[in-house]
Amino acid sequence: MSFYKEFTKGLWNELPPFRLLLGLCPVLAVTKSAQNGLGMGVAVLFVLLLSNIIVSLVRDIIPKKVRIACFVTISATLVVAVELLMQAYTYPLYQQLGIFVPLIVVNCIILGRAEAFAAKNPVYLAVADGLGMGIGFTLSLTFLGSLREIIGAGTFFGVPVFGEYYQPFTMMIEAPGAFICLGCILGFMNYLNRIQSRRKGLAAHKNPTVCGSTCAQCGGCSKANLS
Amino acid sequence: MKSIINMIGVLSLLCAVAGFGLAYLKQNTALPIENQLLTYVQGPAILKVFQGIENSPIDDRKSFKLENGKSVNIFPAFKNGELVGVAIEGFGQGYGGSIGVISGFDIKNDALVSIGITTMRETPGLGTVIANDPFTKMFVGKALPVTLKKDGGEIDAVSGATISSQGAVLAVAEAGSIYNALKAQIIKTWKDGDNNEFLQGIHQRVVE
Repeated sequence: MSFYKEFTKGLWNELPPFRLLLGLCPVLAVTKSAQNGLGMGVAVLFVLLLSNIIVSLVRDIIPKKVRIACFVTISATLVVAVELLMQAYTYPLYQQLGIFVPLIVVNCIILGRAEAFAAKNPVYLAVADGLGMGIGFTLSLTFLGSLREIIGAGTFFGVPVFGEYYQPFTMMIEAPGAFICLGCILGFMNYLNRIQSRRKGLAAHKNPTVCGSTCAQCGGCSKANLS
Repeated sequence: MKSIINMIGVLSLLCAVAGFGLAYLKQNTALPIENQLLTYVQGPAILKVFQGIENSPIDDRKSFKLENGKSVNIFPAFKNGELVGVAIEGFGQGYGGSIGVISGFDIKNDALVSIGITTMRETPGLGTVIANDPFTKMFVGKALPVTLKKDGGEIDAVSGATISSQGAVLAVAEAGSIYNALKAQIIKTWKDGDNNEFLQGIHQRVVE
């Protein structure tokens, strides 16, 4: 249980949108451009980090029976704070993200990390977890957003990348494009994993979302027969 | 029993801290948010309402006090150094909260110049249609008061979005009543009097 290990797990092994497939609603909906993806990611990072810290700080005084209500209160407060700050300083981004900013409250990453990690671990580990997961989420959204923006609009962060002759493939910045891109990324990541484990001489993952760890380290658990 | 008190205590404490924190933040962000709204929401709507004017209604705006103590921002529009109209924001209850509408009034014949939707939380694809040209164009040149066709007026409600359309009409009506209440003051501020400092500034800018 080291700071480093908790930090890096969110960047690859438990990358929220692409490995755990958590929080897909904003992932699919707001990644029309790299800028939107980055903005949404930073908003989630901010809320996740602070909610992890606060939940971890008050974890001993929260009665077990009302913990979910407490977690939701904390994340809802933070989300309203983000909404206000966004309106005050980055209004165009707020207009773009619209309804998805208030919806961070019910984003399962926030509640999931509070319940599964921050409520059971000391503050410094909760910080590592929140930072790792948040940065992983931000990078994933920015990556997906850039991909869709480059193909669908021919620009990257608003700057044209192809010459004038490029005909934008508009479908990619509409809803179907999000599913197509997400599917391709998931397939590619599974392929990478298979190559990686083959190189290490291990059997391929059958279902990497169940444990998210390499099979050699897995001591087996109740979830093992799910795969 | 003790655990129940504990639960209630912790939750109340948490909510109290959250409430005070948010109230503090809300107070401190009120001014920046107003400025952002002026730049990104009301500004474009006003410029759409008044085309070809020579001043900046946002910079020249002035706050007026209504009889009930509320203050409203009024945005003047000048053409050839003369006040041609004012824009006023009104609000009406729509389907998903209040709808904000900027209404431009022609100062000469008290008719609507045009309207522009500023804020709304209507259903995307249904209620949001009221922000589009076919709906807003219906208000151009109409004399006050405007009402929906079903109430004997001239405005055709967007099909499937009667409540949103009604909200927009209510917002225009609110702006209209503000306009009627403040018309004398508006003319006094921006039209009459040669020694009016503000008007001289406008004239100077036009000459330059």
